[in-house]
Amino acid sequence: MERGIDISRLSGSGPGGAIQASDVLSVKAHPASAAVSPAERMQRAIAAAMTRANDEIPHYYVEQSIDMGNAIAWLRETNASVSVSERLVSGVLVLRAVALALRKHKSLNATWQGPEPVPSAEIHVGLAVSLRGGGLVAPALRNTDQGSLGELMVRMTDLVGRARAGALRSSEMTSATITLTSLGERGVESVTPIIFPPQVAIVGCGATVERPWVVEGKVVPRPIMRVTLGADHRVSNGHQGSRFLTALDRLLQEPEKL
Amino acid sequence: MTRDEIRSTLLGCLVAVAPEIDGEEIEDDADLREELDLDSMDVLRWVQGIHKALGVEIPEEDYGQIVSLEDAVSYVTARL
Repeated sequence: MERGIDISRLSGSGPGGAIQASDVLSVKAHPASAAVSPAERMQRAIAAAMTRANDEIPHYYVEQSIDMGNAIAWLRETNASVSVSERLVSGVLVLRAVALALRKHKSLNATWQGPEPVPSAEIHVGLAVSLRGGGLVAPALRNTDQGSLGELMVRMTDLVGRARAGALRSSEMTSATITLTSLGERGVESVTPIIFPPQVAIVGCGATVERPWVVEGKVVPRPIMRVTLGADHRVSNGHQGSRFLTALDRLLQEPEKL
Repeated sequence: MTRDEIRSTLLGCLVAVAPEIDGEEIEDDADLREELDLDSMDVLRWVQGIHKALGVEIPEEDYGQIVSLEDAVSYVTARL
């Protein structure tokens, strides 16, 4: 790269396509960063972080199918009784439930620093937000387990709006203690996410779809959401991860308590 | 308000939610969620913007009726 030429993009004229000095010298040199757009820069940063995460973190995954019937019914009833400015989306219920489940499963709410994890005293869930121009950011909603659901909805709306407008604060980009990513609205049924370093866990949600479900011995259609926990095996294990997902499931069965 | 004025207002509310969208390129019959990659929060913010601009409240159960900009214009026109 001394001449600003990315050798991986060259076609070699030597034997078997080998790149020769003349191939390099024939390319007009330019600064490596000159043609890089902000979106490309972001994608490169994501690529570097995800490659590092994939290389360094021994991921394990556990998955749970959660009946979202109670949550959806509660949401529908709540939204019908409040003004349009106070409506909630299902994502805020999942966000709050993740935060509350972490209160009892602290090993997933930490950062990996050097040879060991450092538990976080506070719960700051990072929300993965895809940008329409390309790219992905996961800013933190600080103290996600605190305040009313309405307040959390206002904060989440503000955060997503600023994320898409490129107006996030740097502290919001670095303070998440776990990440929640949801691709359900894009139609996929499940997500197998990669942890954002230095965090030690990530929760992925798929679409909520009608499935046959056994309730009191009878098969009935229920709206089911598949939730996947990806976690760092240096910090927690499948047993702990399973208990977290079970807690998440229980919380979503009683949305009025979120 | 004329239908064109309503369309212009709704488009303005939509661009406020998704500023990176070029309003002039939106086709009236395009599926907004699909073409513009809108999610449920974008839709809610759009609905809130419409309510603020025109005083028309769109209940959640009616979201399914509004697939395109044309649908939204027809829905709002009938309620003004």
